[in-house]
Amino acid sequence: MSQNWNITLKVSRQKEGETPHFDEYKMEVNPDEYVLDAVERVWAFMDRTLCYRHACHHSTCGACGMRVNDVEKLTCITYIRDMTHDGGTLKIEPLRNFPIISDLAVDMGTLYSRLESVGARSVLPAPEAEIENPPATWSADDGQYIRLADCIECGLCISACPSAATSDEYLGPAILAGAQANGLKRNPELLALVDCEHGVWRCHSAFECTAVCPSFVDPARRIMDLRTQIIKERFTRLFHKA
Amino acid sequence: MENKRNKPSPARFWMWFNPIGRETGGWAFILNRVTALGLIFYLFLHLIVLGQLAKGPEGYDGFVALMHNPYVIVGELLVVAAGILHGLNGIRIILTTFGIGVTYQKTLFYTLMAVALITILIFGIRMFTA
Amino acid sequence: MTQTTASKNISAPKYGETAWLWLVKIVTGPLLVIFVLIHFIVNHFTAENGLLTYADVIAYYKNPLIPAMEICFLAVVVTHSLIGLRGIILDLKPSRSTLKIVDWILVILGVTAVSYGTWLALTIASTGI
Repeated sequence: MSQNWNITLKVSRQKEGETPHFDEYKMEVNPDEYVLDAVERVWAFMDRTLCYRHACHHSTCGACGMRVNDVEKLTCITYIRDMTHDGGTLKIEPLRNFPIISDLAVDMGTLYSRLESVGARSVLPAPEAEIENPPATWSADDGQYIRLADCIECGLCISACPSAATSDEYLGPAILAGAQANGLKRNPELLALVDCEHGVWRCHSAFECTAVCPSFVDPARRIMDLRTQIIKERFTRLFHKA
Repeated sequence: MENKRNKPSPARFWMWFNPIGRETGGWAFILNRVTALGLIFYLFLHLIVLGQLAKGPEGYDGFVALMHNPYVIVGELLVVAAGILHGLNGIRIILTTFGIGVTYQKTLFYTLMAVALITILIFGIRMFTA
Repeated sequence: MTQTTASKNISAPKYGETAWLWLVKIVTGPLLVIFVLIHFIVNHFTAENGLLTYADVIAYYKNPLIPAMEICFLAVVVTHSLIGLRGIILDLKPSRSTLKIVDWILVILGVTAVSYGTWLALTIASTGI
């Protein structure tokens, strides 16, 4: 049984036309609670003007991504005890590299529209989805089984990416991972989208995306694989001029 | 709400070197970029300086004599260090791009940096005791 | 859009950083590791007194393999570094027209560096003949 902690929440506030600033809220929490619970407590009992996103509270919807003490986290599954100590501070900021709408809520519009433009699939047939211990060979019937894609479109990877920090046109890890899962062999028209300065070549192998992904997408590995796919496609096209 | 983020901004360029909240791979990226810039600067400096050779023995020998002070030797050691770090990091990038070592890219980075550190130390000792 | 224009769109890489340029960068990378090792070992261990006097350099350059090696090294390192520099500049989000100017500057810089280095190496090699 854990004792309650007394912590301070430093929350980034920014309404339209205002300068961003931090507001501090002191509260008593159970350290086994999640960071999202603490943010909700601010809204419920202390300051109804706080704006943030949340929905499922079990790491499926991807709505509650924020930066906690300078690290990207999915706050519904981040324990308070992992991020601070009794008497400590939790610094809560919105995700980077997205326009801020209000306080902790950011505009995820470009993420969603770009995912659509690469045709990222949210449901994959089992032989194409990466699952643990797949059978050595899939039979024709196994294609009828489907699996939800790992990516929950939370945007943590884009927030953490140093290339996304300098360029808004860079597609970003989530989108490139979605393109990779789609595969260039199935969709050769993706080549124009990903083989350019705003596509895979802007990635500088920082691996920050994989480090913060809460959902086993491993975007860095997928971007590397996409590069290999692109190089193979370009080589074959050299010899197959239609 | 006016979106200022699409305009190129010098402040965002310095975001490359922002170490806050970075993990291992992010450090590797910063290191690679800093050593790259240092090496480019050295490359062109070296080419210009070697022009002294065309001035005959007075030009070159006089210049070499000038280069025997400790500040220059430290500078040369930095160049050697930059070259080793950039080269080993580059090997890590090639390996991970082709799918080798992606799952243990952090370990790969630490191992290569350890090799780099030992090599740089050896060079340093040799350069200062010669 | 006709079928041919569509496939032309697919085949032609967009202007900017592309697969080929990047491939050149990472092929020249390991080549440079080898060249740097050769350059260093040969200059500091094989040469008499480590090339610290003018006379040593002239004598050393008499072997035609040396200027040949150095010129190749120069070409590879200039290619690798200027493509890399271009990648860093791309992170500054230049406009299409700025990028074209930057490309021209880089090409001129590269060609000048390699020509100058080649001239220098050949001048040293032919001194004292």
